[in-house]
Amino acid sequence: MAKVNLKTFHKGIHCDDNKHITRDKPIEKMPLVDDYFVSLSQHIGAPSVAVVEKGDTVNEGQLIAKEGGNVSANIFSPVCGQVIGTEQRLNKFGVPANYIHIKRSEGQVATLPDIDKRDAIAIKERIALAGIVGLGGAGFPTHIKISPKKPVDTLIINAAECEPYLTCDYRLMIETTDDIITGAKLLAKSLNVSKIIVGIEENKLEAYQLLQKYSDIKTVLLKKKYPQGGEKQLIFAVSGRKVPAKGLPMDVGVVVQNVATCKAVFDACIKNKPLYERVITVSGLGVNNPKNLLVRVGTPYAKILEYCGGIKDETVKLISGGPMMGVALIDTTGVVSKTDSGLIAMTEEEASLVQPSPCISCGRCAASCPMNLMPMYIDFYTQAGDYTTSIKYGVEHCIECGCCSYVCPAKRALVQSIKLCKAKLKEKN
Amino acid sequence: MESKRFVGSGSPHIKDNTCTKRIMLDVIISLIPAFIAGTILFGIRVIPVVLLSILSAVVSEVVYNLLSKKPFKQAVDIDLTSVVTGLLIGLSFNVKVAWFVPILASIFAIIVVKMIFGGTGNNIVNPALAGRCFVFISFLGLSTAYVSGGWVDPNGITVGATPLANILESGSLYNIGISKLDLFLGRNLAGCIGETSKIAILIGYIYLSIRKVIDFKWPLIYLATTGLFTVALNGFDFRWFMPSILSGGLMFVAVFMATDYVTTPNTGWGNTVYFISLGLVTAGLRMACQMEVVTFAVLLMNIIVPLIDKWIVPKPFGTIKKQIMPPKETQK
Repeated sequence: MAKVNLKTFHKGIHCDDNKHITRDKPIEKMPLVDDYFVSLSQHIGAPSVAVVEKGDTVNEGQLIAKEGGNVSANIFSPVCGQVIGTEQRLNKFGVPANYIHIKRSEGQVATLPDIDKRDAIAIKERIALAGIVGLGGAGFPTHIKISPKKPVDTLIINAAECEPYLTCDYRLMIETTDDIITGAKLLAKSLNVSKIIVGIEENKLEAYQLLQKYSDIKTVLLKKKYPQGGEKQLIFAVSGRKVPAKGLPMDVGVVVQNVATCKAVFDACIKNKPLYERVITVSGLGVNNPKNLLVRVGTPYAKILEYCGGIKDETVKLISGGPMMGVALIDTTGVVSKTDSGLIAMTEEEASLVQPSPCISCGRCAASCPMNLMPMYIDFYTQAGDYTTSIKYGVEHCIECGCCSYVCPAKRALVQSIKLCKAKLKEKN
Repeated sequence: MESKRFVGSGSPHIKDNTCTKRIMLDVIISLIPAFIAGTILFGIRVIPVVLLSILSAVVSEVVYNLLSKKPFKQAVDIDLTSVVTGLLIGLSFNVKVAWFVPILASIFAIIVVKMIFGGTGNNIVNPALAGRCFVFISFLGLSTAYVSGGWVDPNGITVGATPLANILESGSLYNIGISKLDLFLGRNLAGCIGETSKIAILIGYIYLSIRKVIDFKWPLIYLATTGLFTVALNGFDFRWFMPSILSGGLMFVAVFMATDYVTTPNTGWGNTVYFISLGLVTAGLRMACQMEVVTFAVLLMNIIVPLIDKWIVPKPFGTIKKQIMPPKETQK
């Protein structure tokens, strides 16, 4: 391969990606289980409102909850079955939330109606109807993201997948390249933009080569560096534009979508299938058979781990999402939501369990912060209870990527301090 | 499957494998060449001097921990910072130093400069330098006789000054009779145990730079600024450049002490400002006082570090004056 000029952003960290565990494992369809618990709050914004009641019979792909506000999304039944009821369960953050419990039985697959003509408005309506949210992890409803209030000239497809371990986007790109490109084109059409740029990290060369065959989209190879897939970092690396501090991508004429979202858009518009399943990577040294799995929303984590051969006794941490920004689960009672990209069982060898020690002011956190902040002072002032002074050191701009905590030799929990500080500042206002 | 409980914690869940202890160990490793060179140049007495300094530093910390009612296990679980402090103190004395001087310096450094201010990471000035400064001032009378601050002929035949003191006193560098090579290797020189052999310091510097414990730029900036400012103060006589860098404790301090994490700013620009000012202060004070003042220059600048960090705060990503929007290539 010819030498390419790799693009990237400033600072950030280099860490072992550990993608080799699952990168060559084709996406497997997980067999159906008996019980599904579908969360009513799988996205950023207002929780959805259930439209089914206890005892109702639902089909696979039937609407079971509709959007509950301006920023919200529809939710569809992952299987045919009977609604047992709406239950309160603890979500992955340990907070009680509402879940629709569906017991599986036989039935038919419901699909959405065909779209007559695929113009911008029809595509937008379809995306809203199909309940598509950003599948990269944030879960922002896609139909709102593609209705920017400012003129946009570029659609950037985020194929960086910079989180270590995760390979779900990579496998999608290898196995369903055509679908993703079609989905991206549909998104571009709904935005009325002609320029599509795919940003992909250098550790996914096979996918890059596949994507290069499409002459009407531009594929940019990026350096392998975390957080390359951070929205602002990706936009800068791919287009050289800097999203203003506290601004949105649309301020620089860009909309960013994840590859998995493109696939979901393709499914919704072409196959008339709403969003109720997604690919997740089950990985980590604690899993007996690591896999890339196509799972239905609402599948209990315990069943997924069981299907992957169970977890080893040495497992000390179970993470929903990627190891840098994911959530540590305390048990396996959680369920898959639209935004889950991974389920990682870590042994002590991989997970860091070292207790924090005093800051030695080495400055490594500031040297690695992709947002150019000073985490050591944010931590210092937050610990002292002086939340407003932290603003000076940029707490409001933090993207919580975790680079600072990763490099900290004193193993300080800098990201937690920052999150706490943000919450306290929010409380104040 | 039985419901196993896992460790809950905030993100990120993976971390770099470096830690404070590892960094301190690297510093200790980087000081070994200087220690060996000192032993070769000044004889076997170097070993008890250095070991005594380290021991008194470590014991001071443990005793302080015990006195402040820490549980025994925590009290003895020291990060290697006090070993580094003790080692630096030991290496910055003359080999003929009275045995109690390095002990007092270590105790002062650990108890007064470090522990009272809150332990590791909370000291305002570099403990090793402060300890050295303390005994230098306290035993000034004593030190002119045998120069505990470290400027004496190691053989004790002629109690004299270091090459730097000679240069500074005579105001000329032609009559000192020492070649640059001797200065570099530390041969036939008076000086402190660790500071005399520049080649050993250089090895330590390279090791620290490769291990990324220190940024290789900062000692270079410090040395270059000191050299150039000395040249400028002497009417742009460039013959001053190399001797001013190679003599005295400058190189040792520049590599191992001025780069101390706790007492340097936390940003790239902050460090640039810090090390350039440090160079100016060192050269200026040297010429003004006619003696070796690196210790005082660094201590002085240490105090300003918090202010530098207050003034120089990087702008968050996206804070820009000129927006490049839309770039030409996307205007099609």
